[in-house]
Amino acid sequence: MVEEGQLLKELKVGNKKAFSYLFQKYYKDMVLFGGNYLRDKSRCEDIVQSIFLKLWGDRENLIIETSLKSFLLKSVKNGCLDELRHTEIVHKHESYVEIFGDMNGIETSHYILYSELKVHLNEALDKMPDLYRKVFEMNRLEGLKYRQIAQKLEVSERTVEVRVGKALGLLREYLSDFLVTLLLLIFFYN
Amino acid sequence: MQDKLEIEELIVKSFSQSLNPEEKIYLDSWLNESKENKIHFAQLGNIWQVAHPAFNPDEIDAGKAEAKVRRKILLQNWTQNSVAVWWQRAAAVLILPLIIFMGYLFFNRNQLKKVTAYQEVTSPFGISSKIELSDGSTVWLNSGSKLKFPVTFEAKERKVFLSGEAYFKVHSDKSHPFIVKTCNMQIRATGTQFNVEAYPSGAYTAVTLMEGKVDVNMNENQKEQLHPDQRIVLNSKTKKYSLVKTDAKDWGMWKDGVLVFRDEPLDEVFQRIGRNFNINIELKDSVLGKQIYRATFEGESLEEILRLLKMTAPIEYKRFGRNKLPDNKFTKERIEVFRAQ
Repeated sequence: MVEEGQLLKELKVGNKKAFSYLFQKYYKDMVLFGGNYLRDKSRCEDIVQSIFLKLWGDRENLIIETSLKSFLLKSVKNGCLDELRHTEIVHKHESYVEIFGDMNGIETSHYILYSELKVHLNEALDKMPDLYRKVFEMNRLEGLKYRQIAQKLEVSERTVEVRVGKALGLLREYLSDFLVTLLLLIFFYN
Repeated sequence: MQDKLEIEELIVKSFSQSLNPEEKIYLDSWLNESKENKIHFAQLGNIWQVAHPAFNPDEIDAGKAEAKVRRKILLQNWTQNSVAVWWQRAAAVLILPLIIFMGYLFFNRNQLKKVTAYQEVTSPFGISSKIELSDGSTVWLNSGSKLKFPVTFEAKERKVFLSGEAYFKVHSDKSHPFIVKTCNMQIRATGTQFNVEAYPSGAYTAVTLMEGKVDVNMNENQKEQLHPDQRIVLNSKTKKYSLVKTDAKDWGMWKDGVLVFRDEPLDEVFQRIGRNFNINIELKDSVLGKQIYRATFEGESLEEILRLLKMTAPIEYKRFGRNKLPDNKFTKERIEVFRAQ
């Protein structure tokens, strides 16, 4: 475990290993986070790469008031929103952005990254009753719409929605250990 | 519980963007009910997003991406370096003009120095000097006189300072007036010949013009313009002056070793002779001193001059040799002149 402050110090003096460490640690998470705004993988990758390029270029004058993670995620978010504005495809995603994009810093300051949650998510899913897990996984892994799942399982669409909702609620319960910190942080920062 | 499930259901629908407008309004109002609801929603959203990543995480190659960024950093450094190289070249191109400019500044500073750098020439008693000024003018400096002048004339005016007698042959330059300053007179000329007598101990200051014209400024804003063969005499005590017509060339002949006296009181005659021969001549009779005298001496010795004067004026004189002082200096030779008995 490398301490973040030390890492930033090393970065500021031009330590390439520190830069590499940060890149490898956050790159994938940042691209995936960008995916919440911009459903274009190569564009998300370009945005994240340019963030790292800028991070290196401005390393000497770098001032990070929040956590490095929050700083990076905010950069990704801004980069993606800029991209959406520039390419005028906001309308296509706006409802999505509306839902996740403007939660007053909750999602960047206290967002649990894919790499942080992935293992625990799988564990939590294993604990879950099959009934709920099945619809959740069909939606998650196979990318099936609720309607398609309903057809496959010969149940109503609403039943699928209820089961997915139940699965999500259970996941929140199982992952509460991580989400508790999130809660505290929200109150602390707000 | 039923209500909660309903909300969970709505949240799930919102994540998959399948809310209808009424459901959306209901969800929004629920979200605005409390901070806890928002946190709850954010937590579920976070889990949902991690569980439903937009791209396959396994297809994101951080190693490859890092290599790409490193290449860009190298390129950036290179362009930054090329900027440095450009500056170096610019500096190399600029260095010569810079040196020239600094040299110019330095040179100019020297010029300024020269303006204020004066040279002073003193003619001791018994000796007269000829001075060539940098502007081409010539000055004959009579014995017992002092001229201060700039080594080079850089200012708008060619200004010199005179104490004593001098004959000026001014090189013509109308845009740079030639100015002679004495203790109570200022003579302004452009290209003329004139003689100035301004001994500090003298009873008067006089200017005699041979050629061209000069402006004479006296103290208290008195101003006269002289024309050739005019002579202006300013009384040192009364500050009054007179402008008289004269044969100007006589007043400049001393520079050629000729002593010319034209209607001068005997006092003045002896003073000039004394200066010329570096002796103190004391006229012991004030009435005799006012007597007007006219004479021209050329190449005569002091002995001969005195003999000639004695022939034409009722005078007797007695010579006193030099006395050695305690500090091994010698006093000036002294002559006492009396009215002949």
